[in-house]
Amino acid sequence: MGDEIEGASAHDPAQWIVAIAARQDRAAFAALFEFYAPRVKTMLMRMGVGAATAEDVAQDTLLAVWRKAAQYDPQRAAASAWVYTIARNLRIDRLRRDNRSKLFTLYEIIEPEEPERPDGPLDAAQDEARVRVALAELPEEQVRVVELSFFEGRAHGDIAKLLDLPLGTVKSRLRLAMNRLRNLLGEPT
Amino acid sequence: MTIMHHPSATTLAAFASGTLDEARAVVVATHLSLCEACRGAVSGFEHLGGALLDATPPAQMSPGAMERTLERAMAASAGAEPAARHLVEAGLPAPIANYALGSWRRIGRGVQWRSVDVASDDAVRVFMLKAAPGTRLPRHRHTGTEWTCVFEGAFRHDLGRFGPGDFDEADENDEHNPVVEAGVPCICLVALQGGIQLQSWLGRLVQPLIRI
Repeated sequence: MGDEIEGASAHDPAQWIVAIAARQDRAAFAALFEFYAPRVKTMLMRMGVGAATAEDVAQDTLLAVWRKAAQYDPQRAAASAWVYTIARNLRIDRLRRDNRSKLFTLYEIIEPEEPERPDGPLDAAQDEARVRVALAELPEEQVRVVELSFFEGRAHGDIAKLLDLPLGTVKSRLRLAMNRLRNLLGEPT
Repeated sequence: MTIMHHPSATTLAAFASGTLDEARAVVVATHLSLCEACRGAVSGFEHLGGALLDATPPAQMSPGAMERTLERAMAASAGAEPAARHLVEAGLPAPIANYALGSWRRIGRGVQWRSVDVASDDAVRVFMLKAAPGTRLPRHRHTGTEWTCVFEGAFRHDLGRFGPGDFDEADENDEHNPVVEAGVPCICLVALQGGIQLQSWLGRLVQPLIRI
């Protein structure tokens, strides 16, 4: 892998997406697929999606990455966040029980077409670094609740059973963690 | 406009992770369409999702999955898919305009109601309300969650003033006595959760209309 991408030896998914948009770079696609498809599949299975559907949605996510590559702006979003949102929208679309559901289109609607921060472009690398720092600063017990609730989409009651905690404790831990994360993630400076 | 009331961090995170039911998500999206700060927070939570995705152990993909996906990809040309565009009815926040709307119907003194056809699997109904200036809405207690986003005019209750863009995330523990400000009618989008025996004034008013 990597013979077609300049400087592909390092793990740089943002550059891989850019390479797909620029020249339909197959090696960049292979690298992205090998990293993200298996992780999207794990995420979906943890959310309770069956293995076969999780596999399909993981493949479709990478297919959508190929198709939408030209829309990707590395200044605005880290590659991981961009892939995450594509997987999220495909999961919602795939698993909707009601054909009238338009939930997944809400995410396209609120996405502004141009970066609109008056004080210059977003620095996605900074956003990404801030998330990692925020996660590292969070107490372990809060990180666990965030993973179960936010990432795996489990109900508060399930989390209480799983961790053998009172429901109120789960809710307050989650609220503390999310408020803290919002403050750490939301500040532009 | 200066927005004073925002969705909770937990709600913004649930929206970012795609786990909010559609009825509540529409009201949150309406707020987001008016609030840059909360769009920033949602983007932050999407980056959190990305970081957790990166840290997730990989699952086993089926043999040849990458090659098959690449084949499908080559059948399309890269980056060919244009960004989606959505038509917006004048004067309406884009997330609402995405749904079939009923016509305005009078449901009480100074209060009009308009259905918003949102699929929901959690007994949550979405509708718009328009209340005349000065309307005093009867004291009510919520029996489930009642999320509201104002987009014209304003009302006040014990938690403050709610003007354009403001988000009121009330649950069953809240008791409110809202009054619409003088001047212009207050128009808002509401996601109301409740079963057959709705107790609130709003529930009684809208119950015959939405046949919960």
